[in-house]
Amino acid sequence: MTVVLPLAGLRVLDFCWIGAGALVTKTLAELGAEVYRVESHTHPDNLRLTPPFRPGAEGLEGSGYFASRNSTKQSIAINMATERGREIAFELATKVDVVTSNFRPGIMKRWGFTYEDVRAANPGVIYLTMPMQGADGPHSSFIGFGSTISALAGLVNLSGEPGRVPVGTGTHYPDHVPNPGHALVAMLAAIRHARRTGEGQEIELSQFESTVNVIGPAILEASLGQEPVVTGNRTDDAVPNGVFQCSDRAWVVVSCHTDVQWTALLEVLDLSGLANDPRFRTVPDRKTNEDELEALVAAAVLRHFRSELLVALEAAGIPNAPVNSSRDIVEDPVLWDRGFWQNVQHPVIGAMPISRTPFRVVGHEQFTLVRPPLLGEHTLDVLSRELGMSAEEHDQLVAEKVLY
Amino acid sequence: MASMPVLDSSALAGIRVIDLADELAAYASRLLVDLGAEVIRVEPPGGSSARRVAPIVAGPDMPMLSTFERFVNAGKRSVTLNLETAEGVAILVDLLRSADLVIESAVPVLEALGISSERLREINPRIGQVIVTPFGLDHVPAWAPANDLIVMGAGGLLHLGGYPDVGPVTAYGSQSRFAASIFAAVAALTALLQRDLTGEAGTFDVSAQECVAQALEDSAATYALTGRVRERQGDRPREAGTGIYRCRDGYVSMVAGRLGTARAWTALVQWLNDDDTPEAVELLEERWNQFAFRQSPEAIADFVRIFEAFALKHDKQELYVEAQARMIALSPVSSVDDVLGNKQLAFRDFFIDVADSEFEKTMTYPRAPYSLSETPALAPRAAPRVGEDNVPVLVDEFGISFEAYRSLVERGVV
Repeated sequence: MTVVLPLAGLRVLDFCWIGAGALVTKTLAELGAEVYRVESHTHPDNLRLTPPFRPGAEGLEGSGYFASRNSTKQSIAINMATERGREIAFELATKVDVVTSNFRPGIMKRWGFTYEDVRAANPGVIYLTMPMQGADGPHSSFIGFGSTISALAGLVNLSGEPGRVPVGTGTHYPDHVPNPGHALVAMLAAIRHARRTGEGQEIELSQFESTVNVIGPAILEASLGQEPVVTGNRTDDAVPNGVFQCSDRAWVVVSCHTDVQWTALLEVLDLSGLANDPRFRTVPDRKTNEDELEALVAAAVLRHFRSELLVALEAAGIPNAPVNSSRDIVEDPVLWDRGFWQNVQHPVIGAMPISRTPFRVVGHEQFTLVRPPLLGEHTLDVLSRELGMSAEEHDQLVAEKVLY
Repeated sequence: MASMPVLDSSALAGIRVIDLADELAAYASRLLVDLGAEVIRVEPPGGSSARRVAPIVAGPDMPMLSTFERFVNAGKRSVTLNLETAEGVAILVDLLRSADLVIESAVPVLEALGISSERLREINPRIGQVIVTPFGLDHVPAWAPANDLIVMGAGGLLHLGGYPDVGPVTAYGSQSRFAASIFAAVAALTALLQRDLTGEAGTFDVSAQECVAQALEDSAATYALTGRVRERQGDRPREAGTGIYRCRDGYVSMVAGRLGTARAWTALVQWLNDDDTPEAVELLEERWNQFAFRQSPEAIADFVRIFEAFALKHDKQELYVEAQARMIALSPVSSVDDVLGNKQLAFRDFFIDVADSEFEKTMTYPRAPYSLSETPALAPRAAPRVGEDNVPVLVDEFGISFEAYRSLVERGVV
């Protein structure tokens, strides 16, 4: 079925940099919006300088990290350090439906681009900011990254092996899921409201507050006087519930919620001698003796190749998964089959897999990602379309390093 | 597009959502509650499995309380229906007829009841359907459930967590449920936008594995472009200046000296020397100005020794405030109590106490993860008691007589 994309016709002026913000506008583009990404050669997005690079393809256009979160957007090069550049950007802001940014509070103000500034010229605008801790309050100017926000919000301290230094997710997790995701929820609600009423609004996503929400249950728990505990991989309702290394060094998740699954696991692992072991008879017994149980399972798993073990676990009805490495996941046939990975051709990088937003519509043609833009690739195109700028004026402004 | 009147100031005022989600996607409709939607959670008599999910608070004088369940179901209504009975399913069909959205997890719940997506659209042509499963609609595993650890493993985030020696360790708090639920809420809102344009909202297929795989950072691109497989970093800093370090009362997390924070490295060296930490003099040597050197194992280990000599003299809050004054991205590794006592969050009235009548307790909720200036998010409200809204929905709204309702209760349908 041919599809009218839900955000068709929506135009976004995008000042988002680096991580969390870029994923918000990536999804808006996949839902049909035209996303005009403002960048410049004088201050390129740090992500354009961030590895990985294919060997021989280093430089502003070569970052695989940048590519992975900027597909389907258009790039306009505007030097915001120039007055004329800011004027042009502001003119664009008066035309579009949405303006997004994730700078520290103060930068948009310095440019004359606050919500009040833009709204005065464009009353229906939706204006998203994603400050680390909100626009007001004693710590509003504090800086951070996904990993430090995760620490500040309490997620790191609870994530790790009991008794060891906490490690969190090992990534800048808030930048990838909670913060772009929560911002999208607010954004789509605001877009729907604007379409129904004509009324725009300001959306503020405090990255700190957004991240606290994904440990919301621990907040409630502590407020009831019970200290949240670090559990590592273990859980109350399954034993074992852990990761185990195979003979080929790859890891698997094995989880048994029931006696039937446990008995089946003993068979798969050639441990049937433990079937009547009093230490492991019931779930509470196995829970009490979990250390010993895990050691026995670990030793047995180590005798199997992962690929063979996964087939055997599946056939026996035992909940399992590979602990997928980046190689495993890029090569996962299910994710290709579902169109999560798409092979995108880029003039500098070559072919690379880029993921779509993680859902699809049943019966609809798959959305095809458009390759990420070169810096300034769409400057003339967008400015002539939106502002009626002539090629001569454009070339002049390029020479003056305004559109640069 | 023509403007239509909106009844109150919430973005989703007038939208009704039927919540058939288990713990995997229950947070999705919680996000819609914040936006003003009416969410009716359909539970089996006795309550849904989410009510037994950790963290559990229990005491001699109180029933088992799942703070997960209270958090993800805040502000919802609860109707109990035995969907193993034809009458229960018939009432569910009435609910679906009255609704704008239905959200299902961790299996296609309606399909299992004999209500295909086509049948659903005959019942209600305008309803949007969001089905959240661990691996997508075409890949339902032979076993159930696919719990958090399994989805985190399949989604690849588990591979990046944990320690080089111990092995992969997952993130706290069943993050696969939050990831799946957040994108299910995005899908639900997309369905409403689609309906506004075309009259049809569609059926959305959300794979929790894919939602987790959005969190792989640079690792997938790194493998694709260089063939290098990123491994877990663990408690060893990634480079000098970036990682988790000990201090007097715990740990701090810092990013200093990487791309875009080059000036922070200089500020950091200055700070340690201003503090008269003798070990820090070494950092003034020229080689420490080279980013490549700071990535070497030698530099990483030396920096731990030098920085901790300094940091062990200070508390994490002191380090936080002073580092920020020097434009260094350092945060405390906060305990939950630290978060509850955070000054910035207090200034912004971020926490709100909610009285819960089911458990006769007051508990603290965080406010919505964003603010909207014209259609403000609603403040958190208590989660419902099991079947709290049976009478208002079934008797008052659907017009089932009180006698018929009593009979449904007696026969275990409601």
